[in-house]
Order: sequence, then structure tokens, then C-alpha cells
Amino acid sequence: MRSEQEVNRAIEQYSNMVRRLCMIHLKNYADTEDIFQTVFLKYVLSSVSFENEEHEKAWFVRVTINACKDLLKNFFRKRVVSLDKIIEQPTEISTEDSEVLEAVLSLPQKYKDVVYLHYYEDYTAPQISQILGKNVNTIYTLLTRSKQLLREKLGGDEHE
Amino acid sequence: MNDRLKKALDKVQAEEELKNNTKAFLYKKTKGYTSTKTVPYRRLLPAIVCCLLVIFGGNWLYFTPTVEISIDVNPSIELGVNRFDKIISVQAYNSDGQELADSLDLKYLDYTEAVNQILTNENVSALLSNNAVMMIGVIGSGDAQSAKVLSEIESCTVGTANTYCYYANLDEVGEAHDLGLSYGKYKAYLELQALDPTIAAEEVQNMTMREIRDLIDNLSANNNSEVNSGNGNEHGGHGTGSGSGQGKRNGYGQLYD
Repeated sequence: MRSEQEVNRAIEQYSNMVRRLCMIHLKNYADTEDIFQTVFLKYVLSSVSFENEEHEKAWFVRVTINACKDLLKNFFRKRVVSLDKIIEQPTEISTEDSEVLEAVLSLPQKYKDVVYLHYYEDYTAPQISQILGKNVNTIYTLLTRSKQLLREKLGGDEHE
Repeated sequence: MNDRLKKALDKVQAEEELKNNTKAFLYKKTKGYTSTKTVPYRRLLPAIVCCLLVIFGGNWLYFTPTVEISIDVNPSIELGVNRFDKIISVQAYNSDGQELADSLDLKYLDYTEAVNQILTNENVSALLSNNAVMMIGVIGSGDAQSAKVLSEIESCTVGTANTYCYYANLDEVGEAHDLGLSYGKYKAYLELQALDPTIAAEEVQNMTMREIRDLIDNLSANNNSEVNSGNGNEHGGHGTGSGSGQGKRNGYGQLYD
């Protein structure tokens, strides 16, 4: 089991990333709390020794995405329409930003992870393919299509 | 588009409340980061209990004899049969029996197969052709299995000469092993004792079944002739009651007023 200091350090370091991944996958705040608990409890109990920080970060990405998918697969949740808002921080987000976020959220499920990992976390396609366990060419295809979709939604001006 | 996305996603941050709740949850769940080792142990406990139940329960089910088959010629052996009709123990009650038990590998065989092997054994068939008597007893507690075993063994021994099958309840012959006799010999001993109360278990132990049967036949023939001829040990005077007794017994064993 990991120590409290180690866990608190990980929470500070990765909670924003986990929060963003939850935001693009989940529909309410209660689910996000569930995912936080699941992911960090897994971290506490896991005996994986990470080679470096990148390795640890990739582990968090993988575990968070899997936890979100498991949650969404849940029979009960599939049939419950949440009344909560998707984003619970309306105060600081400007219209422009919320437009971008909505565009990302409106993407089909399969594009969301690659968009986040590529555009925000700056992972390359081969790195994403490793983290998600998919073929590199599939990642390239997903990136190209998601770029087109986003351009359509946001009025594509410039390329990357 | 890169920058716009980054800028927008930068705004999404984990709330302090969320972080604190998670920390509190983890602290509670791990009991202050001390006792995760007990969690898998507790989860395993029912599984361990089930495994032990299966192992010991299965052991008990398989290795508890429900019926004993006692085979006596002069070799006396007893086969313990479990509820799945398999031989689980072979116990010899004299040196001949030990020899027979050593020459055959009867354990875990079906009891019909085991009885057949004994019947076809050279020594046993030699004894039987020399006019020896074979007693095969089924000792059970009166359940359906004992009845089935008895009928199976009866059908096994149909073509074999000088072979007799019988059924005995465990309550009747329970003392046999205390006296060092097999169930079959004990039953014969009881019969013998009814005819001649002076006979001892040790004497019976080393007799063949043929000798015991002959002795029983002799004694019962004697008794009958004694009764018929009136030469018995009892005489009229010995049977007198003590005042209030109304009946007297004469030398013929009959009552008169």
C-alpha cells in the first residue's frame, strides 16, 4: 500500500487531468466523485512501481478512461437521465471557452480521448496508441476525423 | 484550434472540495493508511471456509463406510463400502485373512468387483472345492443401500457352492470387533453360544467356518436328541418354585400342574 504523502502528491498532480477526463465522458458531478474515489483507491492499493513520471501519468489516463467506461456501461446509469449540469463551474468559463468545450463534448465517444490526449496533453499518435491499446493508424484516422468535426463546429480557421 | 482547446480545457480544474473528499474517502477506506491487508483476507475467508467444507465434507462423505461386507471361510476379512459403493477399507481378522488381503488389491474397487476377485482367488476356490463353507455377510443399518448390496452379492454368489449370504444389523453384531472377531464369525459365535454357553470367543477365532458350522449342527442335533430322549441335565426337582411358584418342570422340559 502507498503512503499518505505519496497519495496526496498524486492527487495534487493528477486530479486536474482526471477531472477533465471525467468531464468529457460523464454527465454529472456525482459520477465524477465516484471516478475520483475509484481511480485514487486503485492507486493506493496498486503495487505497480512506475519507471518515471510519464509512466505514472499514462497509468492514470488508462485507469481513468477505463473507470469512466465501466461506469457508463452500468445498466442503471444508462437509463437514468441526470438533472445535474455537465460542468459545475459556470462562473469562470467564458462563452468562447464553453463553446469549445461543448464542441468537444458533442463529439462521438471514440474521438473524445484522442482529442484530449493530443490537443491538451500533447501526446503524439504513437504514444496515444500505446496508452489506449489501439493501432497507430487508427489513432491517426481518429485524429483527422475529429479535427474535421471540430473545424466544422468551431468554424475552422487555422490548422494545428 | 490547439490553443483554443487548451485554453478552454485549462478552465476545467478539480475542485478543492472534490480533492478533499477523495482524500477523506481514501483515509477512511484504508483506515488511516494502515490496514489494507485485512481486506483481501476478509474477502477470502468465505472462499476458504467453502474449500475446507468441500475438502473435509467430501473426505467424510467418501471415507465413511456405510456398509461392511464380512467374508469368512477361514480367511476372515471385512470390506468397508462407502456410499458410492466403493471399497474403502480392507481389514483382516486372522493370518489367512491377512494373506488374502495382501494378495489382492481391493481398495477403491466397486464392491461387486471386489467380491468377484475374492471368489475367483485361487486359495479361496481351493478351499471351497475342499468343502469349506463361505459366509458372506452384509452388515448395515437397514437402509436401502444394505438391501441393494445384499441382493447384488447374492446374485454374485449364485453359482458358487457352499456359499451363504446373510444380512445383519450393525446393532446385533456391534461387539464383534471388541472380541477380535469378524462380523461373520461373531454371528456364528452367537449362534454357538446359544447352544453351548461355555464356548469362548478365542476358540471360535481360530476355527474355520466349516468347523463352526459342523459344531453348530452337532450341538443342535444333540440338543434335539436330548430333548426327545429325556437325557438332559435338567431333572424335575431342580425346577421347583419357591413357594408361590405354581409350575414345575419335569425332565422333559414340559410344564404340569
